[in-house]
Amino acid sequence: MSAAAAIPRAGISDRLLGPLLIAPVVVVLGAVIAYPLFAALALSLFAVDTLTLDAQWVGLGNFGELLGSDGRFWTALVVTLVWTAATLALQLVLGIAMALLLNRDIWMRSLARSLVLFPYFISTVVAVLVWRWLFNDFFGLINLALIGGGVIDAPVDWLGSMPNAFVSLVVVGAWKFFPFVVIAVLARLQSIPESLYEAARLDGAGVWARFRDVTLPQIGEVLGIVVLLRAIWDFKEFDLIFLLTGGGPIDATRTLPLIVYQEAFGLNRMGMAAAYAVSMMIVMLGFFAAYRAAVRGRA
Amino acid sequence: MSAGVRKLGWSLLAWALVLLVATPLLWMLSTSFKPENEVFAVPVTLLPEEWTVEYYVLLLTETSFPRYFANSAIVATLTTLVVIALGTLGAYSLVRFRYRGREAIASAVLLSYLLPSVVLIVPLYLMMVKLGLANSLASLVIAYTSFALPYALWLLRSFMAAVPEDLESAAMIDGATRMGAFLDVTLPQALPGIISTALFTFILAWNEYLLALVLVNADEVRPLTTGVMTMLVSGFNIEWSLLMAASVMMSVPLIVILAFLQSYLVRGFGAGAMKG
Repeated sequence: MSAAAAIPRAGISDRLLGPLLIAPVVVVLGAVIAYPLFAALALSLFAVDTLTLDAQWVGLGNFGELLGSDGRFWTALVVTLVWTAATLALQLVLGIAMALLLNRDIWMRSLARSLVLFPYFISTVVAVLVWRWLFNDFFGLINLALIGGGVIDAPVDWLGSMPNAFVSLVVVGAWKFFPFVVIAVLARLQSIPESLYEAARLDGAGVWARFRDVTLPQIGEVLGIVVLLRAIWDFKEFDLIFLLTGGGPIDATRTLPLIVYQEAFGLNRMGMAAAYAVSMMIVMLGFFAAYRAAVRGRA
Repeated sequence: MSAGVRKLGWSLLAWALVLLVATPLLWMLSTSFKPENEVFAVPVTLLPEEWTVEYYVLLLTETSFPRYFANSAIVATLTTLVVIALGTLGAYSLVRFRYRGREAIASAVLLSYLLPSVVLIVPLYLMMVKLGLANSLASLVIAYTSFALPYALWLLRSFMAAVPEDLESAAMIDGATRMGAFLDVTLPQALPGIISTALFTFILAWNEYLLALVLVNADEVRPLTTGVMTMLVSGFNIEWSLLMAASVMMSVPLIVILAFLQSYLVRGFGAGAMKG
């Protein structure tokens, strides 16, 4: 009797329950993502003073300015792309090499595996403080070690001059984010059947040939996802660059996310900041679409 | 024999690299225990010759660090609770029910997971000012859901999908309601995943910097990330021991959490859980 009563009730509630359970998520994400996103689109068409919040309709004027000869969009885009490509390449090389090593039978393997993860999980603030101390002119470990080893005669300015600042940024970025590559690749390596390596060995394949013909094809799919995610995250990285170099010297390391912040809260031009943010998203969408097309073309 | 030599070689190589990666963090630890004259001593001492905890004491008694720490704990905990509560129900809805718009919602969540926070800072700032929430911990919790909820939802969805639907159907045949089956069967099965997601969400909120920089501008409500950075710029000369002590203290909760999650991460299933 009770079971018979429960069935129709469950039927009705099931149809309502699904949407009902997701409703709070939709409401919250609507308020903190969808609404701000549309607000940013709208703001990009106005000139807004951050302090007075006076808004003036300028249409596509902001975009005209940022793409024009007075704008900084193109240079910042190049800086952002070079930063993304360089640090991502380093993350991949370091991450794959480390994953291969940690997949071998080495001493205290699980301790080594956890130590490698730390840079990824500590706050960027901590990472930057430590590296700024390492990069310190007269008392930083790096300059002291290099002078002690006779590599350089005088302290090097690692963060305040070019190209040093860019190289330092790329290295710190690689150090901070390569564990993501390690984790993803290591997980995949553990599921490659040993028999594939045995077969390759019987065919006389050396270490490099086994890596190229067995390992690389096996981890290819994972690497594709890793590259996509890390490229997006590096492209939009704000904290590390803002805290390590602040975009300097002058604008040499000022990527698009830093310009958005600077326009809004340094130069008090909220509309212009929104226009930079929207342009940045369009670029990201473009790359995302190109990636999807490339993946589909290969499949 | 040759296998033993090979293991020795690979071990040395791997550990040399691991130590190189860990050097900045070991250096942070070492500096935080050094007295001032040793911090600026040449040649450098790798370990403190004279160990001191004076900077930890200073940090906890003379600076705003304890307040920042409490603020971060409150914001990260509240964000986690809100996000897990909403995310668990939402993820269950996405895996178990069929309704119009479900796929669209799932893709929207994935896309918002990849959305740059920097796009949202200006509208969120204006929103908080309009709501009268500027410079409050509440503004941070609300803003943090913008990245934490899509992240948690995405993770929880995969954990929920791994719970077999048959178990739930069996419970319902035995007379349980849908929500009863969810609470008694699915939730306990998904609990390890929910706990991992909660811990990862906590780390994300604990480490957040940009939104805190934009939304909070008073010492009483600053979290650790922006708070510790003001300690860097507010002094006359930079006290590296103090800053390194702050860095260590601010990383302690993360180390505790990571120790807890270690097996989960090392097995490698955690790759999807890492966000940067």
